[in-house]
Amino acid sequence: MDIKFNKVSFIYNEKTPLEKEVLKDLNFEIKKNQISAIVGKSGSGKTTIIEMITSLIMPTSGNIKIDNCYIEKNSKIVNINELRFKVGLIFEFPEEQFFNSTVQKEVEFGLKTFNYKIDEMSKRVSDALKMVGLDDSYLSRNPHTLSSGEKRKVAIASILVFNPQVIIFDEPTVGLDSNSKRNLMRLIKMLKNKYNKTIIIVTQDVDFLHKIVDYVYILEDGKVILEGDKYTVFSEVETLLKHGITVPKLVEFSHKVLKEKNIKMGYRDEINDLIKDIYRYAK
Amino acid sequence: MDDILVIKDLTFKYKDNPIFENFNLTIKKGTWTTIIGPNGSGKSTLIKIIVGLLKSDSYILVDNVLKSNNNIKQIQKMIGVIFEHPDSTFVAETVMDEMAFALENLEMGKLEIQKKVKEVAGYLNIISLLEKNPYQLSGGQKQLVALASILVLEPKILILDEAINRIDYLERENILKILYKLNKEKGITIINITHDIEESLYGDDVILLDKGKIVLKGNKELVFQEEKVFNAIGIDIPFMAELSLKLMYYNLVDEMIFDMDEMVNKLWI
Repeated sequence: MDIKFNKVSFIYNEKTPLEKEVLKDLNFEIKKNQISAIVGKSGSGKTTIIEMITSLIMPTSGNIKIDNCYIEKNSKIVNINELRFKVGLIFEFPEEQFFNSTVQKEVEFGLKTFNYKIDEMSKRVSDALKMVGLDDSYLSRNPHTLSSGEKRKVAIASILVFNPQVIIFDEPTVGLDSNSKRNLMRLIKMLKNKYNKTIIIVTQDVDFLHKIVDYVYILEDGKVILEGDKYTVFSEVETLLKHGITVPKLVEFSHKVLKEKNIKMGYRDEINDLIKDIYRYAK
Repeated sequence: MDDILVIKDLTFKYKDNPIFENFNLTIKKGTWTTIIGPNGSGKSTLIKIIVGLLKSDSYILVDNVLKSNNNIKQIQKMIGVIFEHPDSTFVAETVMDEMAFALENLEMGKLEIQKKVKEVAGYLNIISLLEKNPYQLSGGQKQLVALASILVLEPKILILDEAINRIDYLERENILKILYKLNKEKGITIINITHDIEESLYGDDVILLDKGKIVLKGNKELVFQEEKVFNAIGIDIPFMAELSLKLMYYNLVDEMIFDMDEMVNKLWI
C-alpha cells in the first residue's frame, strides 16, 4: 500500500496569534513493503506527517492517498475508520499508556470498540502476541510487571491485532537497552519480510536505522530536503551534519578518512567490513 | 581523591521483588561516572534512594554527611537530579522565575537571586531565554533550564536520569559539552544514567549494573576492554571502543582510542 502526499500543507492554530505553518506543499511518496524512515530535527514536521497518515489531524490543504482512501480537510468519519484498520501507529513509549490488568485485556481493548465476537478477538490477540514473539502464557499476566522489552512487545501487539498494512513507529528505540533494540530490529525486519508490512520509522537513532532501513527521507522545516536509499542519503555526510542530523558511526569514520587522508573506503554496514578496509588501506 | 558518595550494604525491595541486596558503591569527588545497565537493572531505583525519593535506612554518606530521616533536605540540596521529562518539574511562567524559585524558597534576597540567576544563565549561554515560557522551549532548551534551576543551588553532585535521550543530536552534544565544562571547571561530580553508551565517552568512570549488582566498575579505558561481559548481559560497548579492540587484535593500534580524529591520525600517520 503506497502512501502519497500531494501538495500537503498544515497550519497549527490557524487564524490565531499562535498560527504556525509546519508543512507547505509537501509532495512525496512512501513505497509499500519497505522500511522507510523519516529523519529530522525537532520541529521539522515529522510528528505532523505521521499524525496525518493516521488521520489524527487533517491537512489544511492538499491530500494524502493511502490505498483507496484520501485524507483531506473534510474526510468523512466512515472513511477514517476504514483507514485506521489499515494504518497502525506505535507512539513513543507506548507502554506508558497501559491501563488494563492483563495482557489479554490490553491487546483486545481496541478491538472491543469495533464489536468483535469474543472468539475472533481471542484468536486475533493470540496471533498478534505470536507475531511479537510472546506465547499465550502472557495472556493472564499483568502488563505493568513485564520487562521493558516485553512491555514494548505488548504495546506493538495492541496495534498488530488490527492487522494493519502500514505500521508506524515513533522513536521506537528511546528508553530501550541494546538487547531490546536488537529484538525490536528483528521484529521490524520480520514484519516486513514475513508479513509484507509497510514500515515507517521516525527516529533520530541513525545507528539503529542504518541496520534495517531501505529508504530514508530527511525532513527540514516541513520539506523533504534529501531522500533515497540509505547508501545515497547517509553518504551525504556534510549535508546531513550541516542540517544538524547525525550520521551512523561507521559512515562518519569512513568519511573522516576520506576527508583527512583522501582515502576512499567502501560504504560499510558492519564493523568487521570496516576493519578489513582499514587493514587494507592503513599505513 | 576524596569520596563524595558512599553507599554501604544497601538492601531494597519493591514489595516481594528484591532490587538491591548488600549493595556497595563509592564515587570519587569531581569525577564523571556513567551508570549503564539493562532495563530493570536498578539504575533509576538507586538514584531515587540516594535523593530520598524512595525510603531506605541503609548507610548513605554524601560529602561526609550521613543521610538520615532528619537531613533529607540537606542531602537534596547537595544533589541535583535532572529527569527525563523536565516539563513535569516546571512551576513558573518564565525561565527567570523558574530559576529563581528554589532560591526564593531559601529566602535569599531579591538582588542576590537576580545576580545568581544571571551568572548561571550566562554560564549556560541561556540569557536570551530568561523571559521565555519554559513550556514553549525545545527539548534541549528545557533540559538547559532544568540544569540552570539546579545549578543556582550550587550542588556538589549532578545526576542525570536518562535526561537527554529524547532531544536532538546537536542539543544533546551541546549539553554534554556544558556538563563536561561544569565537571572540569567547577569540579561538580556527575553521575549519568543512560542507555546511550556513547555518552560514557565524555566521562571518566563506567559502572555496569545488572540485577542490582555492580558487574564492572572502573575507568572507561579498562572497563570497555571487557567486551564479553557487556555482551553477556546484552549491552553494546561504544563504537570507538569496539573499533579499538578489533584494531588492537590486528595490532593496528596498541591502546583504546575514543577520539575518531586521533584514531584516524594514528592509523594513517
